[in-house]
This record gives sequence, C-alpha cells and structure tokens, in this order.
Amino acid sequence: MSKKTDTTRRAVVGATVGVGLGLGAISMLFPIGALKPKKLETPETEPPKDGDVFVFAEGDKKGSEVTFDDLPKGGPAVLVFPKDPKTGVVKSGERNNLILLIRLDPGELSPETAEYAADGTVAYSAICTHLGCTVSEWVPDEGVLLCPCHKGIYDPRKGAEVIGGPPPRPLPALPLGVEGNQPVCAGGFTSPVGVVAGLEPQGGSCAV
Amino acid sequence: MYRWLDERLSLSRLNKKYMRKAFPVHHSFFLGEITMFSFITLVLTGVFLTFNYEPSIRLVKYMGRELPAAYASILYIDSLPFGAVLRSVHHWSANVMIGAAFLHMLRILVSGAYKKPREINWLLGLALLGLSVVTAFTGYSLPFDAFSVTATQIGYGIGASMPYIGEWVSQLIFGGEYPTLHSIPRVYSLHVLWFPLLLLALIGAHMLIMLKQKHTQPVYAEKVAPGKILGVPMMPQQGFMMGVLFLLYLAVVFFIGGSWIAHPVEAFGPPTASTPAVKPDWYFLWIYGILQIIPGDLKIPLPFGAAMNSEFIGGVLVPGLLGIAAVLLPFLDVRKTKQRYMELPTRHPVRTSVTFALLTFMLTTSLAGWKEEFGFSNGQLWTIIIVGTLATFLVSYLIITSYWGQAPKGEAGELEEA
Repeated sequence: MSKKTDTTRRAVVGATVGVGLGLGAISMLFPIGALKPKKLETPETEPPKDGDVFVFAEGDKKGSEVTFDDLPKGGPAVLVFPKDPKTGVVKSGERNNLILLIRLDPGELSPETAEYAADGTVAYSAICTHLGCTVSEWVPDEGVLLCPCHKGIYDPRKGAEVIGGPPPRPLPALPLGVEGNQPVCAGGFTSPVGVVAGLEPQGGSCAV
Repeated sequence: MYRWLDERLSLSRLNKKYMRKAFPVHHSFFLGEITMFSFITLVLTGVFLTFNYEPSIRLVKYMGRELPAAYASILYIDSLPFGAVLRSVHHWSANVMIGAAFLHMLRILVSGAYKKPREINWLLGLALLGLSVVTAFTGYSLPFDAFSVTATQIGYGIGASMPYIGEWVSQLIFGGEYPTLHSIPRVYSLHVLWFPLLLLALIGAHMLIMLKQKHTQPVYAEKVAPGKILGVPMMPQQGFMMGVLFLLYLAVVFFIGGSWIAHPVEAFGPPTASTPAVKPDWYFLWIYGILQIIPGDLKIPLPFGAAMNSEFIGGVLVPGLLGIAAVLLPFLDVRKTKQRYMELPTRHPVRTSVTFALLTFMLTTSLAGWKEEFGFSNGQLWTIIIVGTLATFLVSYLIITSYWGQAPKGEAGELEEA
C-alpha cells in the first residue's frame, strides 16, 4: 500500500518538474528570438533607384558626382555609391550599394550587356558573389575585374560573367541611363546583390 | 601562518593528494603546458586591451582624423607606453596557443593516448582547439581596420553559406549583415567574455580529468618499472620546471612582440570601399587555399531550394568532416583494457602514415593560398594536393613497415582506423 503511494508521489513530482522545465525551456525561445538583429532602414541604406546619380566612394574626389569625363576609357573600374539627386542623400550606409562603373568601347559589349549600358559605360554591383569582398582590382592587360580575396575574375563586357576563380554567379548588373553628362541609374540590380547564402544561385531575374 | 591556514583548510591533505601528482618526464609533454601558458598570457594582455578598447564603429575625431571609434582606440593603445608590445604579445600568443594545441593533439594522436579511458579528454581537447580558433577569429574583427573588416566579411560569408541555418547563424554572431553598428559590440562580448569563460571551463575539466585519469606513461616507464607510475611530483620539481618554462615562454613572446608589431593597424588603415589584398593567419591558410581552387560551379542541391555551394564545401564541409573523423576516432579505434603506456608511432604504421598524410594535405592546401604569388593553376595545385597526400601515406607506410616491421599481432591497437 505504502509502496504504491510512493510511486504515485514520485510520478506527480516528476511530472511537475518536467512540465515546469519544459515550459521554462519554451519561454527561453523569446530571448533567443531577440538575439536576431534588426535591420535599420534609413535613406542612406536604401537600394539604388531610377534617376540616382553616382558619387565617388573613395579617393580624392570622394563624395563628388561622377561625370562621363571622370571615367577612364577602357577601364579601370571606378567605385561609386548611388546618390538621390533630389534629397542629396548619398546611399553609403549599406555596403551592398557599392557599385563599379566601367567605361568600355561600346563595340566590345555583348548584346545583353549593351542593353544595360549607357554610351559604353556599364555598372555592376561591386560585391563579390563568392564571399562578399569588394571586387576592387582591375587587370589592365585583359581588362577584367578581379576580386583580391579568392581571385574571382569577372568579364565586364559579357554581363560580368565569371571567367576564373570560385564565384558561383555573375555580378548583378545595374541598368544605366544618361542625364546630361552623367550616367544615372535606370532601374534596380538585375539579381540579388552579394552572397546568396546556402541557396541555389539564381541570376538574371530583373528586379525593378 | 601555514599551520593557521592548514587548521582551517586542511592544506596538508590537499598537498598530499594533489601536489604530489606524478608528472611523466618527456619533452613532448610540455606542449599542453605551453598552450596553457599562452592562454594565461592572452587573458592578462587581453585585460589590458579591454581597459582601452572602445567597441563601436561610430566615427570619432582622433588626432584630427575622422575614424571609427574601435580603430581609433587601437591607435590609442599603440601610442601607450608598451601598448603596442602588449597588443603584439596578445596576437602572437593566440598564434602560439593554436599551434601548441595542434601539436599537443598530434602527440596524443600518434601515441594513441585518445583510447580508453581518455576518450572524454580527447573530445574536450578537440572542443578546446576548435574554440581557440573561433575565439582567435572573433579577435580578428575588433581592430576594425581595412584588413580585419575584409577578413571578417569572408568569415561571415562562409558561415552564411551553410544551407538552411547559415544566414541566421552568421547574423546571430555578427549582429546582422556584417558590418553593422551592432556587429562590434556583439563580437566583442563573445571575444572577451563568453568564449574565454567557456575556454576556462573546458580547460578546467580537461585538467581535472587528466588528474583523475593520470597521464599516459612514456614507453621507457614500462621497461624501467612496469606497472608503476613514474614521474616527478607536481611540487616542487614539476612546478619549478613549469615556472621556468612559463618565464621562458614570456621571454620569447615578448621578444617577438617587441621586435615585430603584430597586425599593424596604422599601415592597414581604416576600412575603405575597396578590398585590400588579405591573407589569413597561417592556421586558416589551408581553408583559404581550398576556397581559392575549388570550382565555383560546384554545388550539391538540397530540398527546399537550398544547396551546398563551393563556399560551404571548402569552408565548412572539409574542416567539418575532419572534425567529425577526429570525434569518432576513439570510438572506432578501440581497445578493451585501459591504456597505461603511450604507443610507439612506428608500431602503428597506418595511423602514423594517415597523420603524416593529413599534415601534407594541410601544407599543400596552404600552398594553394599562395596560388597567385607562385603562379600555379588550379589543376597543378589539385595534382600536388592529391598526389602529395597519397604519396606521403604510401612512402611513410613503406618506410615504417620496412624499418620497424608490421605491428605485432595480439598487441592492443592492431585494430587501426579503417
């Protein structure tokens, strides 16, 4: 008799402790959810949009607007950020807004690349699709873009397709238009910018 | 005084029980101690660094320049008397800690000391090695100079390449898409608080289990006094040797730190839009090499639109598989009786040759990290890596078996890892 009572008591205590611990563990999910950082949206972090002009991202002319005369013919590429001409906000608060401007011979461009180009000038995201470094080197002999981190090579004449090294997909292109003497943005990037993590690489879909 | 304390704390009992612990005398037994010395040095120099470091990337005015606060605070540390030396000692000690821990692991591996009853300590040791590397990596990002930002970005990308969970894990550790305002405070907290505490706890467990289980004995001990534990007592002999070794360690690392400034933040400059040419520290060079020569279009599709791409395979899967193999080793290469004596590497030709082959693999993949400088093509490098690794195994196996013969049957350990 007494033995049976003992077993029941044990079962009740065990169940109570179990339920308590279980509920405690579930309630821990809330602080874990809070660990995920929140992305802050400001005018400086917005993606480039129609009509944005470009400003130098580095060097002596950092912050000043880019005209076609600033771009050396046949390269090298120039690193720029988009700037909203109405508000005057430079969108440098987001690294994924780093853009490469390259002035090439219009005759050398592949047909698709020519669609996005303005007067032979092409624009690509500067963020390597491999592991997110800035594709900031220019190989003058071949006229191609080189990411210094793991030696990914892109051909700016052919939609920045990968012609060497480990990147999984081309750099997203940014359609360009002409406004006076300046190249301007004429739409959004043609594919997701930067590292598309752990997913089937997708490219070519045009975001507006 | 001693008696006063003894009456209250039973010091003589403690002394009798632990301070007489026998330490086997063998030069390869100092590697673990050097790992611990470098950890102590890292904690002490790290405390100094936290006193002056500012974990923020907000722009501040420093000496007439507008710089991220973290970067400016490193310049400030370097300007303090001995500041640059202490920072360099912190950096070099991290290198020594990882190197010594790795060599310590190799010693355990080739002498078979991971076998029963020491499987738990082998696992703890692997966790310590992995955590040391992770802690060192979180330290990379803190100076927030052009070099460290790029290196951390690559780490973020490798983490994010894990299918399904990668983006979440990377954002959790780096406080959003690195670099954000929240990245540095988060990585700082991990680097100076949580990882060191975890390291300390694991080191404590590693030591206690070692005290309980005792060292494996060097082979000569079996010849001199079979069945007995040979060695010098912790106090005073071993303690004296440890003290001397610690001072020697400090002397060497301060000489290096005083002569060569580590990670010259002033020269690297604050973060820029373009990428500086970066190479990781030597212990990441093999992963860096693999990432450079792995084909970019290599990908293994997974359900729900996910995929294992080349970044994941080179940066996570290859090191991960090696780690899993190491974790499984003591459960595959088993023995029935408790191991007392170290095994001779020459008596275990397969295990020893696999170890050598693994070293060749790491060295040749590190060589791939210098791909551009040496002008190798991917094909040449893959040939060097694969042929080199296999050839090392074969040559080493042939040399060992022809000089020392096959492992005698019947001796524990003939069941090599498959």
